[in-house]
Amino acid sequence: MSIVTVQLGQCGNQIGFEVFDTLFSDSHSSQGLCSKRENEAYRASCKERFFNEEENGVPIARAVLVDMEPKVINQTLSKAAQSGRWKYGQHAYFCQKQGSGNNWAYGYSVHGPRHEESIMNLIQKEVEKCDSLSGFFIIMSMAGGTGSGIGAFVTQNLQDQYAHSLKMNQIIWPYGTGEVIVQNYNSILTLSHLYRSSDALLVHENDAVHKICAKLMNIKQISFSDINQVLAHQLGSVFQPVYCAEGSFHYRRNPLGIDWQVRPPLSGLPPLGKMPLNKELHFNTSIANLVILRGKDVQSADLEGFKDPALYTSWLHPIHALNVWKTQRAFSKYEKSASLVSNSQFLVKPLDMIVGKAWNMFASKAYLHQYTKFGIEEEDFLDSFTLLEQVVASYYNL
Amino acid sequence: MGRRRRLVDPAAEAGAGALPKVIAALSRSLPAGPSPEIFRRAKFDRPEAAPALWQLLFRLLSPRSADGASASLALEAQVCLVKSALRSQGYPRLVLAQLPEDGSRGSRELLLALSWLLARGPLPEQLLAQAHVQLGDEIPVCECEALASPGPRVPHVEAEGPVDIRCVQWLMGRLRFRWRCLIASQQEQCTLLSKLLRRLERENTGLEAALEWRRGELVFWRWMDTVLGACPPEAPAAATQPTFLPRIAERGLGRLELAARELRALQEELCEATGRRRAAWEARVGGQGRGPQWSSARQALQKAVEQELAALRWAWEQDRGPARPHGPHRLVRCEDEAPGGQHLRAAEVIQALRSQEACLEAALRRLQGQCRQELARLAGALPGLIWILPPRC
Repeated sequence: MSIVTVQLGQCGNQIGFEVFDTLFSDSHSSQGLCSKRENEAYRASCKERFFNEEENGVPIARAVLVDMEPKVINQTLSKAAQSGRWKYGQHAYFCQKQGSGNNWAYGYSVHGPRHEESIMNLIQKEVEKCDSLSGFFIIMSMAGGTGSGIGAFVTQNLQDQYAHSLKMNQIIWPYGTGEVIVQNYNSILTLSHLYRSSDALLVHENDAVHKICAKLMNIKQISFSDINQVLAHQLGSVFQPVYCAEGSFHYRRNPLGIDWQVRPPLSGLPPLGKMPLNKELHFNTSIANLVILRGKDVQSADLEGFKDPALYTSWLHPIHALNVWKTQRAFSKYEKSASLVSNSQFLVKPLDMIVGKAWNMFASKAYLHQYTKFGIEEEDFLDSFTLLEQVVASYYNL
Repeated sequence: MGRRRRLVDPAAEAGAGALPKVIAALSRSLPAGPSPEIFRRAKFDRPEAAPALWQLLFRLLSPRSADGASASLALEAQVCLVKSALRSQGYPRLVLAQLPEDGSRGSRELLLALSWLLARGPLPEQLLAQAHVQLGDEIPVCECEALASPGPRVPHVEAEGPVDIRCVQWLMGRLRFRWRCLIASQQEQCTLLSKLLRRLERENTGLEAALEWRRGELVFWRWMDTVLGACPPEAPAAATQPTFLPRIAERGLGRLELAARELRALQEELCEATGRRRAAWEARVGGQGRGPQWSSARQALQKAVEQELAALRWAWEQDRGPARPHGPHRLVRCEDEAPGGQHLRAAEVIQALRSQEACLEAALRRLQGQCRQELARLAGALPGLIWILPPRC
C-alpha cells in the first residue's frame, strides 16, 4: 500500500527530502541483522510505499512538491537528482514566481483557491500511479505563511476529494522564541483547520529537536539541515515496514494504520535511543501509545512498563491503548532502536501557551488587518479559539 | 540439420499471403519477435536484419531471470552470449561462430540458427509456459504457507454499568478507521484485478499466435529449405568438428562416485546381514525339516514370504509412482476422466499429505521417546541432581 507525500513550503520540502533520503538509505543499507530474504521483503515493502519503480531508471519518490517560490523546490529537486539513487518526478511540483510574504490568510484564501486545480491534478496523478492508496502524508510548518495557509487549504481539499483515504499531517511546532510575530495566529488557524479535516497530526517541536541536536548529538552549530535529519530519522523509524503479527513474516500492509483512536489527536515524539523506563510519579496521561522496536533481541524486549494503567486514561484498558510493532531488521544501522508515538497530554502545555499568547494579541486586535484583508474574519478566529480550547480541555480531563 | 514435418492440410498453406502470416504469428509468440520483413531480408543475408535477429536469439537463449537487465546489455555482449549458448547446445554450423562480434552481419546464418532452435523443441510453447500469469489457483504441495493472520482483537466492552461517553467515541473512531481500511483494500483489489485481466489478455494473444504458428508451420519449413539452399556450401573441415558438449562439473563427478561407493558398501552390508541370518536360521532348524510334514509347512512359508515380498514391491512401486507430488500444482476443474501423466487427483494429493503427516507424527513420537530415554539415562547418571522430566504429551 502506498503513501503519497505532499511537501508544502520551505519547511515541508526540506524535511520531505530528508525523509525520502533516510527511507531510501535505510532500505538499501546492508542487511540489518536479518536474513537476505527478509531484507529483500523489507526493501520491497518500503519501495512500494514510498517510491515508484520505473523500468530502467532510479526509483521516483511518490511526492508532490508545492511552494510559492521556486528556490527551495529547485534545490530539493536537484539534490535528489544529484544523488543518483532516487529522484522526484520530473513534473511533480508546483511553484510560482514569488512568495506570499508569510501571510497565512493569503495562502489560504488566495493562493489556495487560485491554484487548487493544478495542485490537486498533480496529486491525482500520483494517486493513479499507486496500485493501492494507503493515504496521504502532508508535511508542513504550523506557523509559517505559505506552507501553513496552503497546507490547511490542501488538506481540506483532500478531505473532500479523497474522503475515504487516511490523511496524516506532519506539523512543525515553531520555536517558542520564533521570529515571525504573527506565528501564534498562524498556529491556531492551522491547528483548528487541520483538526477538522485531517485524521492525524504528528507534531515535532523545533525546541525539542534542537535540544536533541545540542545535548544528545553534541552539535555545536546547529543548522536546519541537522534538525531536519533528526526529524527524518524519527519519521523513518516510524514509517519503515514492521511485522503485522507476532512471528509472521509479512510486513504490515497499511503503514498509516496508526489507530489514533480519538479523532484527531495531537501527538509528540520523544527522542530515540533505548527506551529508558523512568519511574516518575506523574505521567502525562495517554490515550494511546505506539511503541516501535527495531533490531536485535526485539522478541525478548520487556514492555511491561508501557502497560502500567497509570499511564492511561481510566476509561481505556492498557491492552487497547498500547500497540507494539516489531521487526528484527535494524533501522539505519542502529543495532537497536525504539520509537514512541504517543497521543497524550504531552502537548497540552505548549498548546495552551500558544492559544494564550494568540488570544492576548487578538484581544488587542493586533495585526488582524493582515488576515481580514484576505477573508479571514474575526469570527474565524473566534471559531478557532473555541475549538482549540475544547481540545485543551478534553486533554486536561483525560 | 533435421527438421520436423507436421501433417498440415495443404489447403491451409495455399495463397501467397500465407508465409508472411505464419512468420508474423511466429513473431507474436516469441518475445521481441521481429517483423516478417526482417525475416525476408535475412534470407538474402542483408546486414540490416542482423541486429534484430541477434537480439531475438539473445532473448531466447539467455536465462529467465536476466529478463529485466538483459535489455541494457550491449549488442556485442549479446552476440558473445548467443554464440557460446548455441555452441554449448551443439549447434553444428561453424559459420555462426565466425560472424563478427559487432553484430553487423550474418542475418541468414542467424535465421538458420533460429529455425534450428525451433526444430529442436516446442519453443514458443515453452516460452509461453514460462511467462504464464500466476492466478493464485495453484496449490503448493510439500510447502507450508503461513495462513493469513486474523484481525486484531476486538475490544470487549462491559454492557452493564455506566459507560464513559469517551469510550463510545473511541469505539466509533475505531469503527470508522476499520471501515476506511476496508474501502482501501477493496479499491486495491479492483486495481489488481484489472491489472490481472490485462496480463491475461496479453497471454491470450501469445497463445493464439502460437496456435496460428503451429497450423501454418509447414509453409515456414518449406521456405527455410530455400534459405538453406541459398547458403554457400560449408567448408569440409566443419564436418570433423565435434559438437561441444557441456562438461559435468568436477564436484558433480566426485559426488556421483561417492554415491556409487556408498551404494556398493550398502549392498555388501545387506548381503552379509542376510548371509548371517540365513546361517543362524539353518543352525536353528538344523536337522529338522526333512520329513514330509515339513515340506507342506515349507511350501506354506514360501508362499507367505512371496506374498509379503510382492506386497513390499507393490508398495515400493506405489511410492515411486510417476505422480509423486512435489512442487506447485495448479487446481483445475476437469470434466473428463483423463488420467494424464502430469495430472494428480485431489484425492491423491490428500492421500499423499495424510501419509506424510502420519510418517512425520511417527517420527516425532520416536524422537520424543529417544529424548525421554536419554534424559532418563542422564538422570540416573547424576544421583545428586533431581531431574523433573516433562509430562508425556
